[in-house]
Amino acid sequence: MKVLCVAEKPSISKAVAGHLSGGSFSTHNTRNKFIKNYSFDFDFGQQWGSSNVTMTCVTGHLTNVEFTSEYKNWSHPPPESLFTAPIVTNDKKDIAKNIADQAKYARLLVIWTDCDREGEHIGQEIVDAARKGNAGIQVKRAKFSNVERAHVLSAARRLVELDEKQVNAVAARIELDLRIGYAFTRFITNNLKHLGGPLADLVLSYGSCQFPTLGFVVDRYFRVKNFVPEPFWGISLMHKKEGKQVRFSWARNRLFDRMTAVLLYERCLAAKKAKVTKVQEKPTRKFKPLPLTTVELQKAATRLLRMSGQQAMTIAEGLYNKGFISYPRTETDRFDKGMNLRALVQKQTTDQRWGPFAQGLVNGGFQQPREGKHDDKAHPPIHPIAHVAPTALTYDEGRLYEYVTRRFLACCSEDAKGMATDIELLFGDEHFSTRGIIVLERNYLDVYIYENWTDSTELPRFTVGEQFEPTEAMMTEGKTSPPNYLTEADLIALMDANGIGTDATMAEHIQKIQDREYVATTTRGGTAATEGDEDGPNEAPATRGGRGRGRGGRGRGGGAGGSARGGRGSGLKVFVPTQLGVALILGFDRMSFETSLGKPFLRKEMELQMKAICQGSTTRRAVLEQSIAQYRQVFLQSQEQVGVLKQACREFIFGQGPRT
Amino acid sequence: MDLIPQLRRAILAQSLPPPSQTLLTTLTSRSPPPPIPSLLATAKARLLASDLTNTSGTVVDPSLPVFPPNIDLATVQESTISQNTHVQVLDIENLSLSRWEQVEELEAIERGERTRGRQVIRVTDEENGEVDGLSSTAGQTQASRAGGAAASGGANAVHRLVLQDGRGKKVFAVELKRISGIGIGKTHIGEKILLRAGAAVARGTVLLTPENCTLLGGKIEAWHEAWMEGRLARLRESVGADRPQ
Repeated sequence: MKVLCVAEKPSISKAVAGHLSGGSFSTHNTRNKFIKNYSFDFDFGQQWGSSNVTMTCVTGHLTNVEFTSEYKNWSHPPPESLFTAPIVTNDKKDIAKNIADQAKYARLLVIWTDCDREGEHIGQEIVDAARKGNAGIQVKRAKFSNVERAHVLSAARRLVELDEKQVNAVAARIELDLRIGYAFTRFITNNLKHLGGPLADLVLSYGSCQFPTLGFVVDRYFRVKNFVPEPFWGISLMHKKEGKQVRFSWARNRLFDRMTAVLLYERCLAAKKAKVTKVQEKPTRKFKPLPLTTVELQKAATRLLRMSGQQAMTIAEGLYNKGFISYPRTETDRFDKGMNLRALVQKQTTDQRWGPFAQGLVNGGFQQPREGKHDDKAHPPIHPIAHVAPTALTYDEGRLYEYVTRRFLACCSEDAKGMATDIELLFGDEHFSTRGIIVLERNYLDVYIYENWTDSTELPRFTVGEQFEPTEAMMTEGKTSPPNYLTEADLIALMDANGIGTDATMAEHIQKIQDREYVATTTRGGTAATEGDEDGPNEAPATRGGRGRGRGGRGRGGGAGGSARGGRGSGLKVFVPTQLGVALILGFDRMSFETSLGKPFLRKEMELQMKAICQGSTTRRAVLEQSIAQYRQVFLQSQEQVGVLKQACREFIFGQGPRT
Repeated sequence: MDLIPQLRRAILAQSLPPPSQTLLTTLTSRSPPPPIPSLLATAKARLLASDLTNTSGTVVDPSLPVFPPNIDLATVQESTISQNTHVQVLDIENLSLSRWEQVEELEAIERGERTRGRQVIRVTDEENGEVDGLSSTAGQTQASRAGGAAASGGANAVHRLVLQDGRGKKVFAVELKRISGIGIGKTHIGEKILLRAGAAVARGTVLLTPENCTLLGGKIEAWHEAWMEGRLARLRESVGADRPQ
């Protein structure tokens, strides 16, 4: 029997062919220089049995949709006609032909595209191409999440069906992106072109993810720009005992009223002596990280490795294609109980850097990872599949692989353990407290070098009921400082929380708004040299210390979120909108629709609809009708109020104030 | 008939402001008179919604105890309130939050948004009431507790109130200890509080603790609405952000 296998990209095709054939396959060139056909024999078991296999691939999506040639002109027919204009599907001819040709001789087609929504849709495109050569071909899908040998072999012997719902969801998304994107892009470009200047020859693209993403950047920019610093007051207490200095923090932290702070401070002084109300020693721990998802990988890469999210995804994809790590697009942060994690740890024992740590886990230190709440039911958390020496990787590949591996080993290790001492005082009517920590077992921290936990300064002994006159009690004064501009990690977190894009596409949207010059990056710590460089934000460094101290009491050791940790120092890239970016977002915001295009709500709804299609609770047709009607309504309103958009451009790009 | 003293005793047993003779007479004049519990409920509602400074005597006894003279002298380091005193709330501020933080939150609500962590949420009209504390239903306390944690104040929040006695004298009061019933969205303007004899006053500011005051509830609708409406403008003004930049 003859079987045709088709993967999503050349590297996977080659890797799978290698595993299925046991390494001996013959290679044939096709008309596309990147695509080879591999032939070999393989026993699929079950009803298929021993087969003669041809393995080939596509290069991502095999088809694209576009409007018919009557709609090529940007102004005629008018852009709003694009919401209902006919659409044609084109395919990559040479690749489609190769699939059709190969299908002619095959009884079974096995889809080996990546197991996610896009992969499912590409699978359907392959099926359509194959049926042109062989209308009666049977179709199956291989379900796999990495290209490790045993995993691939077992996937080949447990074939499943293609998920039509996911195919439909992607088809709906593609059509919506096309119609909405083209209609608004032409509308914005046509209208703003007349303003001349820098807008005369610019294509002002609109995307339903791009705009909300830009909206977050603009929103933060104005929060920084409009910020008004305010003074606050607090009470700081210091005591010397046994040659050690202890600082106690005030339970009220800080007050935004001087008179009240003075009054409470005065009562402390009148009391003269502070009384120890609580001394408690108890074990504490710092949690090991959760298993790694795509969003967390991108955040970590931007924060710790100083890569862009998109760079990180490209590198991760490469590592996956070479079989070093599992599929890097996943929302799952819990490992399936049935997975043999110890075997994966074992593979890392030969490494120069973390080998001994991995060996320690193998020798009995292994602990089942923590379980997060997310499971996309398609892929496990990102983890290393095989050990690879740093010499076999590029510099950046090596760093990302190192992060994935260290994170995985940390997950399989144990929480760090320590002893915390809490001391509480009553001074007059005011409560103060301090906390000392002694780290007893570092455990996962030994391998997870991106986090730290250190002993605090040693506390002197106190006993409950003990009274003393504090060495120093002072009233302190500080000033609030503005929020920071968004880092890429912040932006990814915002997109994630608001359902903008999928974990797989977020990085692309962020890149897109930079390419379009809607936002620019600047380095935090240096002066933010943007157009609106007025008073306000720049005094931040002087006052930030005050805030940090004021909040110190809250930072407990146990949290595992990791948001404030690591490279928060200077030199971090942050996003600021350009004048154009500001004008576009404010232009739409000021049109006062129910929901501005610069807000995440419309897109989020669309994203939820895609999920609903996948779950079978709605259909592609229903979603298309509803979303197109919704965006069309917004389009018509935008057309009516286009003057508002133009005015925003005059104001922010050409520096003309609002007309009075 | 001993209905009037009976009702009077029941009212005072609940620590409510002393009722005027007129109120007692009006309530008990119906024949046959309604049962005591429903009379008491009516009296309570009237007392808590009244303005204590109204000396006409239609609702509150005009001779109710008031603040000691010179209570607001900033030069006196410490004094006490000599007798149980009923007061009404004229203003409330959360001193633990910067005013700008509160401005940003109110502006977001005005735009129809609310943030929960990083998530931006669209606020529909019914929800709006919760956040603003506009709704006055029984479930309101619970609603605001669930809704605006920042608005109603956390465990360590410090609020400052402006309290007014029956003669119209206004003083500041701050939470020396946290009182969970006090918060923006929980405390209404016109709400009645009983300050107990012995409550400390420092430099003209009453120091509130759960032991020295009883929150009686109630509000004066018109005052509360005006206060809610003007809150954003007052906050902006107090940080100097009311001037065009």
